[in-house]
Amino acid sequence: MSLHLPCPNCGADVVFRSPALPSRVCDTCHSMLVRSDAGVTQFGIAAALPFDVSPVQIGMRGVDEGQAFEVIGRVRWSWTDGAWNEWLLLFEGGGTAWLGEAMGQFLLLREYPFGEVRSKTLRAIADGERAQIGQKVELFGRKLVIADARQALCITAEGELPFVAPSGWQAYNVDLRGPDGACASLQRDGRTTSFYQGRYVMLAELAPRGLRAIEGWALPDYAA
Amino acid sequence: MQPEAPLAPPPAPAVRALSCPNCGGTVELRAAGYTVHVGCQYCGSILDTTDGLVKLVTQAHAAQVTPDIPLGTRGALFGVEWEAIGYLRRSQDYYRWDEYLLFNPYHGYRWLVNARGGWSFGTMLTRVPTWQTFSSYTLDGAAYMRFFAGTATVDRVVGEFYWRVAVGETVKTGDWVRPGFMLSRETSEREESWTLNQWVPDRMMVQAFGVAPARRVWPPLPHQPSPWGAWLGKGALIGGIALAFLLVLSIVLGGTRWITSQSLPVAVDGREQNATIGPIHLSDRYQRVQVRSTVPRLENGWVDLDYSLVDRRTQQVFAASGAAERYQGTDSDGPWTEGARDSDVSIAAVPAGDYDLIVDYKGNRWSENGTFYPDGGWMEPTNAPQIVVEVGSGTLYGSNLFLAALMIAMPWLIGLLLHLRFEKARKGESDFQPARSEGSDD
Repeated sequence: MSLHLPCPNCGADVVFRSPALPSRVCDTCHSMLVRSDAGVTQFGIAAALPFDVSPVQIGMRGVDEGQAFEVIGRVRWSWTDGAWNEWLLLFEGGGTAWLGEAMGQFLLLREYPFGEVRSKTLRAIADGERAQIGQKVELFGRKLVIADARQALCITAEGELPFVAPSGWQAYNVDLRGPDGACASLQRDGRTTSFYQGRYVMLAELAPRGLRAIEGWALPDYAA
Repeated sequence: MQPEAPLAPPPAPAVRALSCPNCGGTVELRAAGYTVHVGCQYCGSILDTTDGLVKLVTQAHAAQVTPDIPLGTRGALFGVEWEAIGYLRRSQDYYRWDEYLLFNPYHGYRWLVNARGGWSFGTMLTRVPTWQTFSSYTLDGAAYMRFFAGTATVDRVVGEFYWRVAVGETVKTGDWVRPGFMLSRETSEREESWTLNQWVPDRMMVQAFGVAPARRVWPPLPHQPSPWGAWLGKGALIGGIALAFLLVLSIVLGGTRWITSQSLPVAVDGREQNATIGPIHLSDRYQRVQVRSTVPRLENGWVDLDYSLVDRRTQQVFAASGAAERYQGTDSDGPWTEGARDSDVSIAAVPAGDYDLIVDYKGNRWSENGTFYPDGGWMEPTNAPQIVVEVGSGTLYGSNLFLAALMIAMPWLIGLLLHLRFEKARKGESDFQPARSEGSDD
C-alpha cells in the first residue's frame, strides 16, 4: 500500500510504497526522510548526485525470472579506486533486489539472512577480520572466490530505500565470484552485516523499459 | 490545483569538459561516473576524477601522442556503436601493441587491440574459463590452446579508464587461442581477469573507424583464422561435386559406339597377313577410335596386331599395335591359364572423315617339347582359326578423365599448401612452439 505524505521540509508529495522501505529522499528538496508510526522525520539533506552517464534511472522497469520490477532507489558508493551505483528494484510481489552497476557491468543481488551463512571465512570477516583476496569460500554448495574487498564510502542516495544512506556512511565491502557468473557480496558497517547473493546480468536480459536517454547516443535495440 | 503535466526530462548530456590542472588543456570526460583516471592527451599527466573533482595523480610533460583512432571517434562493430575513450600503448619485451577502450553507455566497455596491424575486439568475461589440460582451457564448449605467456607493461596512457592506470604498471599475461578467438588472462596482485578477443578483419575496421588499411599481417596473429581454412572446406565440397559430375558424365558418354566388325582368317603357316576394313565413317569433329580384336580359339599362342587407320582423303595414318596371347598348362599347383584372348587399343583424337583400317597380323603357336595338343593346336585348319576385329568410336578417354580430376584437385592442393604455410607461420610465433628456440639467437 502506497502512502502519500507531505515532505516536512518542502511540502511536496512524497510516496512510501512499502513498509519495508521506510527511508526515502525527497525528489524535490533532497531531504532524507524516515517514516515511522509517529510520522515522517527529516534526517538531513542528501548530497547532489555527481554527473554520470548511467543508463539506469529511477522509474526504469524490467523483468527478472518472469517477475516485473521497477527501479525505485539508488545508493552511490565510492572507494579509493572508483565509484559504483546500487539500484533498488521493487518487484510486483513486494520483494526487492539490488542491481549493482560498476565498470559498465551489472550484478543482480538479493539479500539473504546472514544467519544462514555457514562459511567460517565469512563469519570471521563479519566479526571484523580482513578478507583475503583469492581465498575460496563454499556457499550453499557453490564454490566462490573472494574477488575484491574494500572500504566503501556512501556518496549519496536518491529515491526509496530500506535504510538511511547518509553521505559519509562507511562500510566494508567484500565481493565474491563464482566461475559461472555467480556472485555474492558481504557488507559490514560496524553494527550489522548484510549478505547478498546473485549473478552477473546483461542489461538486455532484464528487458528494460524507460532507460535513461543520453545525449548523442541511440537507445539500444534491446530497449526498443 | 491541477499539477503540471510532467515534462520529459532532457536527455542527460554525455560529455563533460575538464581542464587539466597541469597544462590547462581541455580534457573531455565521456564516461562520467565510471571513469576513475584520465590521461591528459596534451601533457600525459594522469588525473583522478572519481568524485567529480579533478586531481593530479602523476605530473608529466610527455610529447603529445596521436593514436591511430583519435579518442572520441565512434564506429559500429557487431551491430553496436562504440566510442573510443581511452588509449594504452603496452609492450612485452620488444613487442608493442595498442589498446583502445571502447564505451557505449547502454553496452558498457569493450577493447579494441591493434597488434602488428591486425585488430581484435575484446569483451571482459564475467565467468571463468575451465582449465582443461596444462596447455588448454575451454569456454562455452570451445577449446583454446595456449600460445603466449609473459609480462605486459603500460608505456603510454591517453584518455579515460574505469580503473587507476599508471605508466610502468605491469601485469602477468597468458593467452590461449582457437581460430578467430583469443582468450587472455591478466593477473595482478589484486585480481585476475579474463577477456575474450575476437579477430576483426581489416576491412571491417576501415569501415567502422576509418583506420588506414594495414598491409598484410605476417606472420599472422595468434588467433587469426587461416584465409584458406574455410576455402578448403568449401573447395572440398565443390571439388567433390565436380568429380561426381565427371564420373556421371563418363558413365553417360564413356560408352563406345560399335561401327563395324569383321572376321579375318588366320593362316596355318604363321605368315604375315593383312586385311582392310572400311570404309569407316567418323562423324564427330574428334573422337577416340577403339579397336578390339578377339581370337576365340586362341590357346598356347599369340597374335601380333598392327593397325593403321588411314584417312581416305588426306592419307593421314593413325597407327597402333596390340597383341592377344593366351597360355595354359598344368603344374604341381594344378591347371593354370595366363593372358587373354583379346586385345583392346584406342587411338585418341581422330578427326572426322572416312577411314580404312588396315590390320597387319600374324598368328603364332607356342611350341615346347612335351606339350600335348589333342587337336594339334589352335592354328590347325580343323579349328578354323580367325580373328574378329571390331571398330568403334567414343568421346571420353580414361586418361582425360584423370587429367580433369587432377585439374579439379590442383587448386585445392595449392590451397592446402598455403593453409599449412599460414598455420606454420602463425604457430611459429607462439612461446610454446618447440621449433622456435633453435636458430633464434642470430
